[in-house]
Amino acid sequence: MSLLLCRKEHVRHPYYIENLGVHIFSSQELAYVIYHYPLLVLDGFVGEGLLTFLREELELGFLALKLERFLKSGESTDEALILLLQETGYCTSSEVSKFRHKIEKLRKKHPAELKKVKADELFSMRQYGRAVELYEALLLLNSDGYVDDHFRGRVWNNLGSCYARMFQFKKAFDAYEKAYMRTGHEQLLEQLYVLSKLDSRLNVGERLKMLMTEERVSEWEKKMFTARENAAQSEQVKELERLFSQDETERLAGETKLLGKWKQEYRSMV
Amino acid sequence: MEGLIVGIDLCDMYTQVNCADEEMAWTIPTVICRNKHSEEWYVGEDAYAHVLSGDGIIVDKLLNLALKGGTATLEETRYEGRQLLKLFLERVLEFPQQEYGLLGIQQLVVTVEKLDMRLVKLLYACAEELEIERERVHIVCHSESFTYYILSQKKEIWNGTVGMFDLSEQRLRYFEMKAQRGMKKTTALTEYENLEEAFQLDILTTPSGAKLADKILCSCGERMMQKKLYSSIFLTGKGFLNRDWAEEFMKLICTKRRVYMETAIFAKGAAYRALDFLHGKNAYPYVCICDGHLKSTISINVLHKGQETSLVLASAGDNWYDVKAEAEVILLEQDFIEFIVTSADSKQSKTVEVLLENFPKRPERTTRVRIQLSFLDERTMQIQVEDKGFGELFPSTGIQIRQEVMV
Repeated sequence: MSLLLCRKEHVRHPYYIENLGVHIFSSQELAYVIYHYPLLVLDGFVGEGLLTFLREELELGFLALKLERFLKSGESTDEALILLLQETGYCTSSEVSKFRHKIEKLRKKHPAELKKVKADELFSMRQYGRAVELYEALLLLNSDGYVDDHFRGRVWNNLGSCYARMFQFKKAFDAYEKAYMRTGHEQLLEQLYVLSKLDSRLNVGERLKMLMTEERVSEWEKKMFTARENAAQSEQVKELERLFSQDETERLAGETKLLGKWKQEYRSMV
Repeated sequence: MEGLIVGIDLCDMYTQVNCADEEMAWTIPTVICRNKHSEEWYVGEDAYAHVLSGDGIIVDKLLNLALKGGTATLEETRYEGRQLLKLFLERVLEFPQQEYGLLGIQQLVVTVEKLDMRLVKLLYACAEELEIERERVHIVCHSESFTYYILSQKKEIWNGTVGMFDLSEQRLRYFEMKAQRGMKKTTALTEYENLEEAFQLDILTTPSGAKLADKILCSCGERMMQKKLYSSIFLTGKGFLNRDWAEEFMKLICTKRRVYMETAIFAKGAAYRALDFLHGKNAYPYVCICDGHLKSTISINVLHKGQETSLVLASAGDNWYDVKAEAEVILLEQDFIEFIVTSADSKQSKTVEVLLENFPKRPERTTRVRIQLSFLDERTMQIQVEDKGFGELFPSTGIQIRQEVMV
């Protein structure tokens, strides 16, 4: 238990971290992002833009100079990240060691696997648009000992999930179909069935239809029913019901606010 | 910059003015007079002269009038007390300006009997209207100007206890200053007491009244001084201008002690204080603990560059009304802020805990809080803690906690 003293930093122009879709206003936030999202900062994070931010906004000119020399010397940028963590004083020395260990482990991964893990991280952060870019790049890779049909199947599956979360059901449907062709995972059949129910224009091919046995369909229907029931009871739906029971002026104001929020959320996803 | 370094002792009855390193001091009644036929204003003897000649209207007790937010109507024009006080101060400053041929003010210290926030704000507002920059104006109390006057004298005068009796119209006070040598700095501890035995100075005009006054002072002297060892005793105030009536009292205080008489001690002390403000902290390397100054140091323990360290928000000896401390910290597994209050004399500490109630639960080390600390008076500390969130990663809720604590 303690208090961590913050430097006085008068940031007028915050630094935008594209992968996270957030602006950062302090050296502590910068350290937090590096420590918690190593995958997102591993390559290309320490660049001229960040150095300018350190120099001009955080007034960490000496640190910026050290990092600049690092970049020019051609040494691994991983060390630059570690230096940033050490100098900002936000992380303890044991956390810095832990971080070093973590990135060493990541560097040992196959480049394709590393890219996929990075895309998965973006997916978990609801940055579906950015994840799609990486998954699509992975599908263009030539086959080798690691990149094979099974790997591509996993990528198609995740790509499908991204499209589904962005309400692009047709693309999601196609991706799941391709994933199923490569992996044969039963769960993908369920996804295809659910999508076809959500969008009547999507038709499951005859070959796949045959695999959707009555027993399976009945189970999936039950699941969909439960999901709908739960959704109806959710706080968000109740909030909407409350909104629609209000008089016109209040309802309109509430609707505008809510729509604005949804739009913002959606934009940050794609 | 060329300009005056001025000390003003502003009381409701009289005002004294002195400039640093100058012996001359002006004593002016705190009254202002307006000409009945024109917007001309007079202070001091001029004011009384115009009243006697019938072409002036006088307003007295200007400080009290301004503090109460009162008004005075002169020749069908209503003037606010603050306006009159500003006009008075403007004319009071003309005395040294004319004497020394300098118009600008380098530093101005106004000393008053007792500090309160309203008075401080009032005097700052007057100075602003007189176009004296805020950083050149300081308000202190009589204890502080007394301390600065004493510390400006030769060391043998204050190497032990220094006592002072201040006798003026309706006021009898006893001041005492002790210098305590510490490891790093010498602390000057000053206290004063308003004595209940105060009397009207009119009684000194009759032999029986003078005798009674002498007896009163003797009894006060015996009570306050007891058998303490003094390096010097000072006398100040209108009542001591003539000391023939105080034969017994003078005998009492003059026994084996150095006794000094100084009529403008507070104004001169204020001028020394002004000089100190001008020169920075090196001229008077003392911690001054007196009325108007904090008697405790307020700190919080923080982690800085991996080291546990104490962050001082306000130091013993700081002017309480000048304390406006601010710090930003990140919470590390705690939902409270602990302030450490360390008394300057006993060095004992107590802690004050501010619980961050209703602050949102966030992941570890993602709640930054802004701590602001100020004082409402010498003993009442005001703490404000605000949730600043953690940028866009964990936006601020804007929740604020305010707490007043007696220290």
